[in-house]
Amino acid sequence: MDEPMAVTAPADPADRSVRSDRNARIADLLDAAKGGSEDALGQITAELSPMLWHVARAAGLGADDAEDVVQTAWERLLSHLADIRVPQALIGWLVVTTRHEAWRLRSAGRRQRPADQDWLTAIPDQSAGAEEQIVLDEQQRALWRAVGRLSAQCQELLRIVAFIPRPDYQSVSAALGMPVGSIGPTRSRCLQKIRVLLADELDGRSA
Amino acid sequence: MTSDDDAAGQPRESDLDTAADFEILDGIRGLFELIDPMPADLPERVRFALAMRGLESELARLVSEDSPELAGARGTERSRTVTFDSASLSIMIRIEENKDGSVRVDGWLVPAQPREIEMQTAAETLSVSSDADGRFAFAQVPSGTARLVVVGSAGRDQGAGGPAVVTPALVL
Repeated sequence: MDEPMAVTAPADPADRSVRSDRNARIADLLDAAKGGSEDALGQITAELSPMLWHVARAAGLGADDAEDVVQTAWERLLSHLADIRVPQALIGWLVVTTRHEAWRLRSAGRRQRPADQDWLTAIPDQSAGAEEQIVLDEQQRALWRAVGRLSAQCQELLRIVAFIPRPDYQSVSAALGMPVGSIGPTRSRCLQKIRVLLADELDGRSA
Repeated sequence: MTSDDDAAGQPRESDLDTAADFEILDGIRGLFELIDPMPADLPERVRFALAMRGLESELARLVSEDSPELAGARGTERSRTVTFDSASLSIMIRIEENKDGSVRVDGWLVPAQPREIEMQTAAETLSVSSDADGRFAFAQVPSGTARLVVVGSAGRDQGAGGPAVVTPALVL
């Protein structure tokens, strides 16, 4: 396998130039894909599929369904490609479509799972003999516990927001299925909650 | 529709996140990448599925449109029938006015096959599936301009499938 093309933002959140390079690259690929380049489309799917995977999983789908939904979103993109002009719109369209398809699948009740949020119970337990142990440092474990204490709505929202490239954030969040005026405050409220929970977790463990 | 404009708009104060928020979001992203990573072969699967479908979509041509006629017991509802052809499919639709000013669209695909069908209107995209006989229905479509898209399919379901077929804009 080649290196996984994860959606990795640069470490420094203030470094906008790296991200606008990425946007420029996606814009070029988008133009090429619209011109019929399957290779360009393939590069776009490699770049953005991880984000869509997390959107689908955040909506509570099992792994197989999440894969199907990501694939469906890309297939549906083909008939909309001509209407999409800029990377922000592409990302927004994909996120919204993935989320919509995920909800549709869930409400159709197909392959319904007892534990919708199975990733939450996948919290790594270092005492268990998991074949592939994920080693988290104390800060990460505290953050994970804090995430687990959020409301389902905040968990979903923050997971999605964490994977959306920052400059695209506002255009995407406007379309996330919540009233445009409330998404900013909802996001802020969820962030505020997790700040408090995280501080609590860190205090609690170090005391 | 307005997303392009919004991106360039002035962020309101409530939309601004602090560096601490970015740090938390980066942390959350890192955790989920570790704990619940995307299956490594998913992009390849997607690429394969898209390659099967091809980037080309077929543009359907309007081949016939009968003149509006009065229908229904009261004679107040109008209906008309429109037929489109593309290389792989014919799409016939019957458009009827609902009492509330919206329209009902009943249609069928020839050759008959189950496909996903979208009605793209100015306001929204409605989505339904055709049955094995190729029949589909949109019970309420806002009147105005719309186009139909038979979403492309790799033929995973019982051999039915083909590229996306897009009709010209219709006035409903």
